[in-house]
Amino acid sequence: MVLRKRIRRILLENKGRYIGIFILIFIGSFSFIAFKGFSGNYERLINEFAQKNMQEDVSFTGYEQIEDISSLEQETGAIIDTHKYYDVPLHHERELRLISISHKVNIPSVITGRMPKYPREILLSPNFYDTYGYEIGDTIKINDDMFEVVGTVALPNYVFPLKYINDVIPPPGFGLGVIATDDMDVFPDAVTVYTARFTDRDNVKAQVTGLYNSITQKGLMLSEWMDASANKRIRMAWATISGSKAMSVPVPTAMFLLCCLIVGLMIWRMVRSESIIIGTLYAQGYRRKELLQHYLSIPLMVSFIAGLAGSLLALPTIYPTIKLMVTLYYIVPFDKVVHSLTDIVLGALMPVIFLGLASWAVIRKELAKSPAELMKGDIQKAKVNVLERTLKLDYLSFNNKFKVREQLRSIPRLIFLLFGVMAASFMMLIGFTINNSMTTVFSSEANTSFNYSWEYSFKEAKQGTPVSGTIPFNAIRSHPEGRESIEFYLTGISTDAPYVYDLVDGKGNELSKEQVNISYLLAKRLNLSIGDRITVVNKLDGKSYYLVIDGIAQTYAGQFIYMPLSDFNELIGMPTDSYKGVFSKATIEYSPEELSGIKDLKNMVNSMDELMMPMMMVVVSLTIIASIIGVIIIYLVTSLTIEESRGSISLLKVFGYRSKEIKRLILSGSSPFVIAGFILGIPVMLISATALYRYLGEMINLALPMILNPLHAVISFTLLYAVYEFTKLSCGRKLAAIPMSDALKAGME
Amino acid sequence: MFLSVANLTKSYQTGITTKVLKGLNMELGKGQIGVMLGPSGSGKSTLMNIIGGVDKADSGTVEVADVCVTDLNDNQLVEYRRGKVGFVFQFYNLIPNLTVAENIEVISNISKNPLPLDEILEAVGLTDKKNRFPRELSGGEQQRVSIARAIIKNPLLLLCDEPTGALDSNSSRGVLTLIQNINIQFGTTTLMITHNSAIADMAHTVYKLRDGKVAETAHNTELIPAERIEW
Ligand SMILES: Nc1ncnc2c1ncn2[C@@H]1O[C@H](COP(=O)(O)OP(=O)(O)O)[C@@H](O)[C@H]1O
Ligand SMILES: [Mg+2]
Repeated sequence: MVLRKRIRRILLENKGRYIGIFILIFIGSFSFIAFKGFSGNYERLINEFAQKNMQEDVSFTGYEQIEDISSLEQETGAIIDTHKYYDVPLHHERELRLISISHKVNIPSVITGRMPKYPREILLSPNFYDTYGYEIGDTIKINDDMFEVVGTVALPNYVFPLKYINDVIPPPGFGLGVIATDDMDVFPDAVTVYTARFTDRDNVKAQVTGLYNSITQKGLMLSEWMDASANKRIRMAWATISGSKAMSVPVPTAMFLLCCLIVGLMIWRMVRSESIIIGTLYAQGYRRKELLQHYLSIPLMVSFIAGLAGSLLALPTIYPTIKLMVTLYYIVPFDKVVHSLTDIVLGALMPVIFLGLASWAVIRKELAKSPAELMKGDIQKAKVNVLERTLKLDYLSFNNKFKVREQLRSIPRLIFLLFGVMAASFMMLIGFTINNSMTTVFSSEANTSFNYSWEYSFKEAKQGTPVSGTIPFNAIRSHPEGRESIEFYLTGISTDAPYVYDLVDGKGNELSKEQVNISYLLAKRLNLSIGDRITVVNKLDGKSYYLVIDGIAQTYAGQFIYMPLSDFNELIGMPTDSYKGVFSKATIEYSPEELSGIKDLKNMVNSMDELMMPMMMVVVSLTIIASIIGVIIIYLVTSLTIEESRGSISLLKVFGYRSKEIKRLILSGSSPFVIAGFILGIPVMLISATALYRYLGEMINLALPMILNPLHAVISFTLLYAVYEFTKLSCGRKLAAIPMSDALKAGME
Repeated sequence: MFLSVANLTKSYQTGITTKVLKGLNMELGKGQIGVMLGPSGSGKSTLMNIIGGVDKADSGTVEVADVCVTDLNDNQLVEYRRGKVGFVFQFYNLIPNLTVAENIEVISNISKNPLPLDEILEAVGLTDKKNRFPRELSGGEQQRVSIARAIIKNPLLLLCDEPTGALDSNSSRGVLTLIQNINIQFGTTTLMITHNSAIADMAHTVYKLRDGKVAETAHNTELIPAERIEW
């Protein structure tokens, strides 16, 4: 068909626009395949690892050894295993957690090298191995022994290698070392951990409860009970992956919908302006199907090529991304990427379907008209739409009237601009906001001036007066009744000395230590205000306690409830002067047998910078993509506006309007809509971020404050507006290129 | 003379060279109506565009009110068109999404001393239709809007390119009457292009364009009122 030759010409004549559309679709398909491929593969790896290497369902430590494990196994249907761990400091502030090899539950998986065969051999976690440049065959001096590095390893119970369960990320310098059980014997203070996995994979939760009951009925005292579903070392990876999976839908959808709007608009305009040609072709015997094909071929072709290119180019990014993630963040064995053909087909065909349908819907009606009707060219005449007709603009100056009318001329164009700018500002703002929330939490922790340096936890509760210079506390890991995903410590602290750090209320007044104080983020999450009652459930034994909130502490650091130690002890039925730990300014030499943990409070936050880097990268890349999208959208709208106003522009030139005046009349009318789009982006962003945060909270018990820093809003807006002004500026040439002869030659109306 | 054109030449290059104007001379006195007659394709619009400052001559001069239009650069031409010239086109060239009043305001917006809008609307007889959009008007009415738009800035020179070319005889008569009345009321020097020789009777000076030159110039001593022109 000769018409086919036109397609190339049309594409060339409008290449700027089609390139813009190409990029939007490309971003859509690319992000779909990249997010989907990344999360799908990672999910598979984590699943396979958990299954093949027998990831624990629960781990616990007791005050005494469990003597008859096999009978407990029979009774509960669990596979129970034990391993030991022990933290050893190395030179250069590095620290290794030595973990003994287990064979039934949490079986280590060698990534490189081999399992330890001979005494004094060690496997390292890949993050530690890579960061400090170890090689197989290197030796590490641990206490007085030399261990030989024989490879790297992934552990099912340390997918995210956190040192403390409540850490946000692993502290710098911290790594895991897997050694043979016999080698562990040289560390007499190593902690024994029991781990259990149920053979029956249905209803694991109930089985966990059953196991707990069996153990406690035997009168065994537990010091720690960690359900895998609340274990960040295991769950954190899930959260990230489901987050990334969730992202694979909205971004491409937004891109495709935007493209639908603009392409629909362009095709519609083309068909309408060509109605006489179409009518003539009909009259000469062309079929409707042929013309439909002709007009659909452009959007179909562009969307297919862009979708395919985006999908295919996204594929090679999956492997390195996962490789990086499995080495540095969530450590699982990684063999290969499996590409999902369905996803690739979807990535390539989704835009085709979207755009094809949009274009089809738009041109169907025009093409359905009779040749006679089309040839009259009646529809070519610019209709005045409802908005233009009903709006009374008499009170405006001419310039403003003109600008308003120019904008109202095409409502789809306006919607596209509004939504496009909204999408761009949404992306910028959400990047900033996530970054902001993280920074606030961590800098809040970092800037906290601690009144103590060390936290010592004891294996067993003590009673009486603690060592001088220390302040005693007692705590239970707990959750609010009915909401197990929210986890926090209910802590009783002696009222004789200041808190770990000073707590103030919303007005900046110091909170009394004689009352029940809840941290801001936790109160917000639970929707609690002063005077409200909360039922707190002890995670360990399921007992519940009632509390009335007296104060809310203005801090973004953590989720906690503090109350006076004596009240706390009374509440949980312990002697009033008992305590399970102390805070201290100076180091204290407790005997290692007494201790279950030491925490360096001041060093907890050093890891902030490392966390900030990837965050900053996310923000920067979101901002860059948002800017690109902003440029494309504004360019498309501007170039369409100029095209649609060709006649008016040409006429204004003839009448002696200066080019600056024309530019202002034709182009700057969209400013309010750019501003409106930006402002609309704010609530959309807030709603999405709230949903995202709630989701993160459920997944990993992470509470983030939603803070939209006005400065960041201003920066985003300035950036977007600069993009807008820049695009207008570069479209000035297009304006200048419109000849006056357009107006002189033919009638417009 | 208010308008004088001397030795004007203009050709177009479209693969081959088409000489359109070949040394054209003409003059028009202040306050007069001039009518340029000539067959289609003879170069009338080309001449008009050069006089109006939207096109450039190859050689020769155009002087309007002591300004040499052919010497002006692009920016000066913008100011010249803005300050001195009013245009009326065959196909009205109204902006479709502006109302009648707004279409007229397009010009008053950039002129230093525009005439009052209401007075102009009254003069063209469209006061009651000022809030309509162009497509809601008849051809004759649209042309009247375009005349109103051309004269609201009280131009020194009104250029009308086949103002009745798209109209039936009744509407044409109305439009021509309007142009004549404006000439009388405001003393606007008017150059009108047409291929219809009947219109010549309402002009002070009549030019006949042939072969790129003004072949004939005639002065009417007695003007016929436009409403009496026969088609
Ligand atoms: N932009 C142009 N390029 C090439 N030729 C042109 C152009 N404009 C006009 N012409 C030619 O110049 C001649 C005169 O055109 P024009 O002045 O419009 O005539 P008229 O207005 O008398 O009908 C015509 O032969 C036309 O084809
Ligand atoms: Mg002409």
